[in-house]
Amino acid sequence: MTRARLSSQPLRHLQDRIATALITAGGIGVLLAVLGIGVFLLWEAAPLLLDEELGSLSMLTPLAWGTLKAALMALLFALPLALGAAAYSAFFMSPRLRSRIKPTLEMMEAIPGVVVGFIAGMVLAPWVERHLASTLVVIVWLPLSAGLAGMLWHLASRHWQRRLPLSWAALWLIPWLVAMGMLALWSTPLVEQALWGGDLRRYLYDAFGLDYMTRNALIVGLAMGFAVIPSVYSLAEDALNEVPRPLMEGAQALGASRWQAVIKVALAAAGPGLFSAVMIGAGRAVGETMIVLMASSNTALLSASPFEGMRTMAAAIAIELPEATVGGVTYRMLVLAALVLFLFTFFVNTLAEVVRQRLRRRYQRMGGGA
Amino acid sequence: MKYAAALGLAWLLLSLPPAGWAQPQGPSVSGTLGAVGSDTMAGLMLRWGEALTTRYPDINVQFQASGSASAPPALLAGTTRIGPMSRPMTDDERHAFVERYGYPPLELRVARDALIVIVHRHNPLPDISLDEVDAVFSSTQACGRAPIAHWETLAEGDTGPRGPIALHGRNITSGTYGVFRQRVLCDGDFRPKVSKHMGASAVVAAVGESYGAMGYSGYNHLTPSVRPLPLSNRQGRPVMPSDTTIQNGDYPLSRYLYIYVNLPPEAPLPPAERAFLNLVMSAEGQQITRAAGFVPLPMDTLEAQRAW
Amino acid sequence: MTWLKNALQQGVWPWLCAGSVALSLLMLGALLALLLTRGLGHFWPAALTEVTLNSGDVVAGEAVRDMPLPDQSGSERLYFTGNRDLDDARWRWVATDAIARQAQPENLLRLERRTWGDFIGYLEAVEVNGERFTGDDAWQQVQQALSLPTAQRARYQLTLRTPQGQTLRQSLATVISAEAPNAMHLGEKLGAWGSDVWQFLSQGPRAANTGGGVWPAIFGTMLMVIVMSVIVTPFGVLAAIYLNEIAHQGPLTRLVRVGVRNLAGVPSIVYGVFGLGVFVYGIGGSLDEWFFADALPSPTFGTGGLLWASLTLALLTLPVVIVATEEGLARIPDAQREGAVALGATRLEMLTRVVLPMATPAMLTGVILAVARAAGEVAPLMLVGVAKLAPQMPLDGEFPYLHLERKFMHLGYHLFDTAFHGEDVQAAIPLVYATALLLVLIVLVLNLTAILLRHHLRRQRGSEC
Repeated sequence: MTRARLSSQPLRHLQDRIATALITAGGIGVLLAVLGIGVFLLWEAAPLLLDEELGSLSMLTPLAWGTLKAALMALLFALPLALGAAAYSAFFMSPRLRSRIKPTLEMMEAIPGVVVGFIAGMVLAPWVERHLASTLVVIVWLPLSAGLAGMLWHLASRHWQRRLPLSWAALWLIPWLVAMGMLALWSTPLVEQALWGGDLRRYLYDAFGLDYMTRNALIVGLAMGFAVIPSVYSLAEDALNEVPRPLMEGAQALGASRWQAVIKVALAAAGPGLFSAVMIGAGRAVGETMIVLMASSNTALLSASPFEGMRTMAAAIAIELPEATVGGVTYRMLVLAALVLFLFTFFVNTLAEVVRQRLRRRYQRMGGGA
Repeated sequence: MKYAAALGLAWLLLSLPPAGWAQPQGPSVSGTLGAVGSDTMAGLMLRWGEALTTRYPDINVQFQASGSASAPPALLAGTTRIGPMSRPMTDDERHAFVERYGYPPLELRVARDALIVIVHRHNPLPDISLDEVDAVFSSTQACGRAPIAHWETLAEGDTGPRGPIALHGRNITSGTYGVFRQRVLCDGDFRPKVSKHMGASAVVAAVGESYGAMGYSGYNHLTPSVRPLPLSNRQGRPVMPSDTTIQNGDYPLSRYLYIYVNLPPEAPLPPAERAFLNLVMSAEGQQITRAAGFVPLPMDTLEAQRAW
Repeated sequence: MTWLKNALQQGVWPWLCAGSVALSLLMLGALLALLLTRGLGHFWPAALTEVTLNSGDVVAGEAVRDMPLPDQSGSERLYFTGNRDLDDARWRWVATDAIARQAQPENLLRLERRTWGDFIGYLEAVEVNGERFTGDDAWQQVQQALSLPTAQRARYQLTLRTPQGQTLRQSLATVISAEAPNAMHLGEKLGAWGSDVWQFLSQGPRAANTGGGVWPAIFGTMLMVIVMSVIVTPFGVLAAIYLNEIAHQGPLTRLVRVGVRNLAGVPSIVYGVFGLGVFVYGIGGSLDEWFFADALPSPTFGTGGLLWASLTLALLTLPVVIVATEEGLARIPDAQREGAVALGATRLEMLTRVVLPMATPAMLTGVILAVARAAGEVAPLMLVGVAKLAPQMPLDGEFPYLHLERKFMHLGYHLFDTAFHGEDVQAAIPLVYATALLLVLIVLVLNLTAILLRHHLRRQRGSEC
């Protein structure tokens, strides 16, 4: 028995060494393959950059503009929602509710872009075109009505404040928002009649020369915002939740209200974390393909109007690359677009990651931490 | 009368055993049939494919339809042997093919189609001339008319939509885009504001939802949600697109639909491709053409093209 | 002023933030509710209405939706009327003011046919083997005959009458199904609904993707995802083990780790470009030249296909697996490793006997998350191998059984394609809803599994350590 074991000893070590070598080779191979994406894109796009056919690069300008416009619209819509939701669920929400709501909102991220794009392009866009005034009124009115609810709650008696506590407000507000949305939809035709002569689109055109396209930046913003909310929310919530509690408590002990503690202390402390959440959101918005493909009109316009469409780099790649002849100018152009997307998101994500790690160390120094 | 005739034909075909396009190879044909090309013809190709697989379950059918412009590169790169196109190949595309293979691709006319200019179903505009269409859609006005951007300029009177014309069209890779540009815009450029839709039915759906919209698409995508505009031909007489006017060429924007085949001179076609082309050229195949919304070709025109 | 400040700080701002949560939940709920009602509602046997217009015209069909007229003077209703072979159109818009009478006759039928799509009208007579049935007998004959195989059904000749009075003769062989929805009671409707849902899940698409089911797309998605996990799991785990257990933990490793993590944020379309350029054109093209030269110019691997799609998505989901596995590995206390080594185990034994079993659930979570991501991803597939219609599965009884070079159908792409490229969007929309619902359900279930697994794990681990 002992002899058998002894004789297998070198074998075991050999096995070990071979396995280690294999894992190392495999691991490094995989990492190289993954990092090779950048190399490939650079290699394929390089002739275009070296050929000094820079005139053809102007083709990318409207695409880059479209990409930025789409991402900005999405962030404009998503950031207030995501950050507000993060602040609420990190500081105000009851823990029991939070343990349910957070996974639910994170689940939003799993909804495939192609489904969101379909709903946006085929359902939302025609509806908004017919009810532009209602849409704008709802977009303005819903936040106001949530604030109004807060005001009413503040004015209400202690009894009601206890019956409808702030920590469950996210649930109380759902029926309230539905009712307020209905109210807005019902009353908009009157508003439209009074303010804009019964047809907002016509009014916008006559007064500001704004053209309206069925699938436009507004639709893309709403749809892509919907897709971006969960990732921003999740990261921002983590960052806020990790703010050391003693910091907040200290501020409140010094006489700050809860909201002041949130704004002045927590936001300042978690600022880098929020920044990295926003960066991740921007990265996602820039690279999202299917939503833009289905919800924008794919017109390579250089316009800032929210009612006109755009063409983004990702959408252009998806449409045109299969048809482009390998090695041709269009092919290289599209690969270059992919390279730009790659570099941009890589840069943004790295920045976010570095900032996040800094933040974590800072929290640890503060003596708190999650 | 037309219905009765078509019906009779349909009934005859449907009641016969499905041997309308008898096979030299006998009943068991297998293999992979790939086709890359026109999006306009996608529905037609799919229906032909369905008929083919109903008859020969062993044939593996694979279609990719992202636009006619995708067919020549695919034929050239060898990713497919069958390229459906809604426009004839350009000289450059043909030349590139000959350079690569040493023989020209086989060109088959398989159906007739037309480009239609559509407006919302309640739009009262009576008709439109080709020059006006160019003035509406083009930014270069290569045909020489002053640009038209508003309904007020296009239609006199008080009825109908007002304000800017919302334009809908196809994306750059589609054959419809190319043909429209060549035949209507006199090779000019589209206005940048023309929404570029992924498919012709998306154009129809968008125009059907929007009162002030105008768009172009293929005849087969016509639905009651939109109204095709009669187009003035060279004699200045507006012609409504219909099976008859498209068939006899009275409608100015009628065109053939093509299938390009990579057929080396001496080599036989693989059985799957052969079975497919036999189906397309048969009466049953042309009946499917009608079901897909296109205008079938007379049988003698089809027979004259057989080269395999 | 202080009052306002107080109101803002205690009431308005916190409630505004709560409003963001409520609004996000509301949007999510609205999306899911829309998908559920439209997706499942499509299969419900809809009532058929026969409408007589003021002009005397008769229209029969299913009311689809109402729209206001452009001049706001009333509304109009869209009917699905079928009978494309007779009317040249399947749809009809009717101004609601022009409707004189509406009825829902019980003998109004809806036949699903090959080639021409649905027929809506009345059954006059059935002829079989020289016998002629009319009225209720005819309807019973048709219902019985529909369970026969297609070849035998050809003996039955139907005489149909459209609501406008035209007659039409049709062989039963071309009829796929028949129903009289107005005569159905609730139980029958439920039954019909169930069988329609089943058909949707189990059959291939028909009539240029505007009818039938999505089975090939479900199968294609599943197979692609399985092939992908087979590729991604070993490599992902290998890379994670290397990074966490073997590599020297210096700044370089940290850099690589950040890099890998960031690749998860690189847009999927970029991976598609890589897949097209390297796998399809590069490797696939060379494979064809070396091994399949006799098949050229028809490409074998030099075109998008199952293998390339799976590889591309494997690359795309690699960071997910690496990160999840690494997390699991990092959670294992060093004491476990040191204990194993102290007892004389080599590194390999320590890894396979101690570390890996403990990290298995984390790996599993990673793979499930990868699968969930891959199942919903469409953009890269458009470049590397989905097809509009590939009724033949990439897996069949023909050697070598698994055809990695074949193109395949994918639920997400099928959705995109039918919604935008189809022949008639209006006709395809209900199916698109159903497909979207299915896709969302698959992805959500996968994600839920991963979340529950991780949750379960953390709790278990918590009690252990």
